[in-house]
Order: sequence, then structure tokens, then C-alpha cells
Amino acid sequence: MGIFARYAATAVVWLAAISVLHGWLNLNAFQARRAGADGGKKTFKIGFLPVTCHLTCPVTDFINRSMTGSNIYEPIRFSGWPELKEAFLAGHTEATFILAPLAMKLREDGIKMKIVYLGHRDGTALMVHKDSDIYRIEDLRGKTVAVPNRYSNQRLLIFKALRDRNIPFDEVKLVEMPPPDMPAALSVKAVDGITSGEPFMGQTELDGYGRILYLTKDVWPEFISCVLAVREDVIEKDRERVQDLVNGIAKSGKWIDQSMDHRMQAAKFVSKNYYNQHPRLLEFVLSKPPDRVKYTNLAVRRPDFEEIEELARTAGILEGKVHFDDYCDPSFVRDDATIEAFQFEAPR
Amino acid sequence: MSRATRTRSIILPLAVGAAFLATWHAAVRITGSTLFPTPMDVVRGFVELQGRGLLLRYIVASLFRVSWGFGLAVLVGVPLGLLMGWFRWVFEALNPLVQMFRPISPIAWIPVAILWFGVTDIAPIFLIFLAAVFPITVSSAAAVANIQPVYVRAARNFELSGLQLFRQVILPATLPQIITGLRIALGIAWLVVVAAEMIAVNSGLGYLIIDARNAGKRYDLVVAGMVMIGLIGLLLDLAVRRVERTPSLRWGYASRSD
Repeated sequence: MGIFARYAATAVVWLAAISVLHGWLNLNAFQARRAGADGGKKTFKIGFLPVTCHLTCPVTDFINRSMTGSNIYEPIRFSGWPELKEAFLAGHTEATFILAPLAMKLREDGIKMKIVYLGHRDGTALMVHKDSDIYRIEDLRGKTVAVPNRYSNQRLLIFKALRDRNIPFDEVKLVEMPPPDMPAALSVKAVDGITSGEPFMGQTELDGYGRILYLTKDVWPEFISCVLAVREDVIEKDRERVQDLVNGIAKSGKWIDQSMDHRMQAAKFVSKNYYNQHPRLLEFVLSKPPDRVKYTNLAVRRPDFEEIEELARTAGILEGKVHFDDYCDPSFVRDDATIEAFQFEAPR
Repeated sequence: MSRATRTRSIILPLAVGAAFLATWHAAVRITGSTLFPTPMDVVRGFVELQGRGLLLRYIVASLFRVSWGFGLAVLVGVPLGLLMGWFRWVFEALNPLVQMFRPISPIAWIPVAILWFGVTDIAPIFLIFLAAVFPITVSSAAAVANIQPVYVRAARNFELSGLQLFRQVILPATLPQIITGLRIALGIAWLVVVAAEMIAVNSGLGYLIIDARNAGKRYDLVVAGMVMIGLIGLLLDLAVRRVERTPSLRWGYASRSD
């Protein structure tokens, strides 16, 4: 049995070695914990995706860390909607940035959570190939458009654009596609149009094969796509921390919108530290045009959600069982005019 | 092996590899694709990853998850397979369940993994375990079921039974086939690393591919991740083949190979 003992020993040594290496290189297991990093409390995790709709999440984290040297929460970056949603449902993240209609749908399904703040305003485009013959929304008849998710506001946005022109919904074929795959799909003309949050739309412009059919502000001014949702038990148990979080998000939103210089600073440190994207991409979508995506006026308001609710019912994705008071808690920031921007300049 | 065949065994794969790279490069150039990278773009991607100190970290992370997932699969799969192969009633009881779980892709398990294990390293390890454990179980069970009855009868004539019979006859008789099964299962375990790392881990070669898709036009890094997974897969296979060639394990294979 000598040979078995030898192989078993090799396997154990290998497992130990690879575990230590992994702990050292990837988990920072051997670094002394930063003093007061989370004040001894369990870290408060926020789910987000590397899209501009969720930009305030990394910006708040970066500014907090830079100003106080500690983190009030831990942003967890996901790669797609389903994984982000599942981690939130299973309670592995306390709060998450999420598509507004998806959050409303989850509330309809009985998930106890509340929308406490908006992620952004506008910030979506519908892109077509530069060679395509689509120049007006009417030209979308009979075409195929990729949307991120059936519960995305981008899908509702198309419905609204069609309804405003009395075009039946079923004349445009919608397919679901993860936003990172959209630019390549448009480039090879696998679909006629794509629509999702930035920077994936801006990327097709930057790379020279995409043309804007519409920006959100052309169809649905002050459009909302993603919101910050928090589990109700977390709000009950730890209201103070949720308040801190919402304040932080609100202050960063104001900070981003304070000047073009702040937007460029954000593009730089978020690309580098959170999104792993080329800074040029974020710089582009945050500046061309400057009102492509906005981070002010983000308090939760009844009429906005009533409009989304009504469209979602028409589009058949919500049953209309739940309403504003069920899925929204506007009490954290009632009016973001009262919020002051962070006093912060990123190190150059 | 003579010198001529040894030279051939080096030259031939290198020539095929070079032809493959040349075709790849030419195909990108001819189609004028601006999205798909050329081999040189991929090399530059590697250099960038190395420069950012990510390459080693990601390789270690993926190997860590595959080692644990596969290791646990061996610990569970081999004994289970041996029991199923030896005791008819264990086979009858468990086989339908095993065959039912076996064809379910690890990708389908992703939601379950997140619900149970959250966004930790355990979720991808669980997925890799699932991918590897069923092939190991099935091949181990088949190995026992296929033992020549004459071995067992001879052993019984020597009044071997219980643990002795298992250690001195069954295990040696089944090992070559079990190890072939392990080799295939290791390939599968390594294959699912991309799917397993779709869950919000922040390291690993699978993560590199998914992250590069999120990063705009970085298909050079996507392909770099694919190349790295392929190269490490090759090394893993070579390592298991070495184990297979250990004389006391390879009695079942005469001198067919090399």
C-alpha cells in the first residue's frame, strides 16, 4: 500500500499548498485586518453590476474609504442579473442595486424588501448598426431588439415608444441577452438593435459600428432603470446603517453631478478599482452628452413608480397586486435637494 | 522509444500548433474582424495580465477550486462506486438517482449553489464537485462490476474475505479502470471552471473570461483566459497520465501506449 500512502500524501500536500497560496494571493487571509474596518459588526454587503446605472455604489465606497479609511459596507460585484438577484433573495447581500420592475415583481412574489432610493436617471440608449436602415422608432417594425431582461425598464421603454406611436407591441421582436454580449451581437448584426444600461451602448459608438436611435431623454425624460433595494428585516434591525448608506449614495450622486471634473475623476477610479474597464469607456458615457445619465433627483417618488407600474401591467410583467407603499420606503431621503454633495477630490 | 519517434513526437504537435496559429491569424486578417483578437493580441493580453499581477493569482484561484471540488468528488465517488459495484442491492437502490443527477449541467445548479452557499468560494467548489462526482461513481462501479469472476473465486479459495479481499484483490483489479475514470472526471472538473466562476467570486480564469466580457472590447483577455485553461488542462492530463503509468497501477494496460 506504499504507493497509496504516497499519492495520498501528495494530494494532501497539494491541497494544503494551493489553499495557502489562494488565501495569500486572493483572499488577503494573512494581512492584518484593518483596524476598525467594520467596527466589529458583520459587513453590510451591497450587490451591484459594472454598469453606469450602479455607479453611485462604487463611488460611495471609494469616497468613504478615502475620507474615513474605513468602509461602511462592502460592494459585491456580480456578472449578471440572475446571480445578483439570487444572492439578494438568499440573504447573502443585505441590499442591492436592481432593475425597478424586477424589484416590484419580487415584491409581488412576496419577497419582503423596499426600494429606498434610485440608482440614476436616464442612462439608456437604443443602438442600431450604423449601416442599418432604422432611422425612426417606426422603422423598428419587424425587427429584433435585444433587451437585458424581461423585467428591465429598457423593455418598458420600447413599449412606451411604440405605444406613443400607436404601434402594436408584437410588431417588434424582443430577445433577452446579457448586456456584455450586446455590442458583439450588434457588430455582427445578429440583432437589429440593442438596449441596456451604459457603458455597453456607448462602447458600440466608441468602436464605430453603433448609431444612437434614441437616448432615454428623447422618449421618457427622467427615466429610471435601477434602484437601491434593501431587505425589510435589515431596515427594521439596522435602520441607522441603511440611513447612512442612502445618505452616502445621495451625496455621491450629487458629487458626480457637481462638475464634469468630478465625473472624469469617478470614471478613472471606478474603472480602475471596481469595473476593470478602460477609463475611456466611462469617460465617454459620462460626458457625451453630459445628460446621457444623471445622478441627481434620486429620491423615491410616487408618480414615477405609478407610471412604471402602469406600463409594466400593460406589458404583462406585473399583475398589479402591489403598489407604491408596498415596495417603496421614501422616508430615508424625502427630497434630495436637502442633500449636500461630498466634499471630496480624488487623488490624481 | 527510438530517437526518430521521439523527435517526431515533439515536431509533429509543434507543427500542428504553428499551422493552427497561422490559420487563426490569417482568418482574423482576411475577415477584417475588429472584435476577435489575433494570436499576437492575445499574447499582449497575457503580458498585460502578468504586468498587473493577475495571471498567477487567477491560476491559483482556479486550481484551488478545482482541487477541492475534485478531491471531494474522489473521496465520495470512489467509495460509493465501489459499494455500488460490489453490492447488487446498493446499485439497485442508488443507480436511478445517480443516473438522474448525472446529466444535469453544473450551469443549472448555479442558482442552487448561490442560494445555499452565497457568494463564497464554496459555491464554485460545490459545482465542480457535482460535475466530477458522478463520472467517478459510475466508472468505479463499472470497474468493480467488470472484475473477472475468476479473480474473486481464486481469492475465495485462499479464504480471503472482507477487508483482505478488498485490499488484495478488488482494489488492485479495479485501479486501472478507476484511474482512467478519474482522468476523465478531472477533465470535466476543469471544464466547468468557467461556469463555476460565473458566481460572484473575484478571481480565477473563469472569472477572467466573464470579467473581460464586462470590460467592453476585451476579447483578447477572453481568449487569453481560454488559452490558459487549455494549457493547464493539458498539464493536468499529463500529470494524471504519469500516475497511470506507475508500474503497479498499469498492469491492466500491457504495453499498448507509448
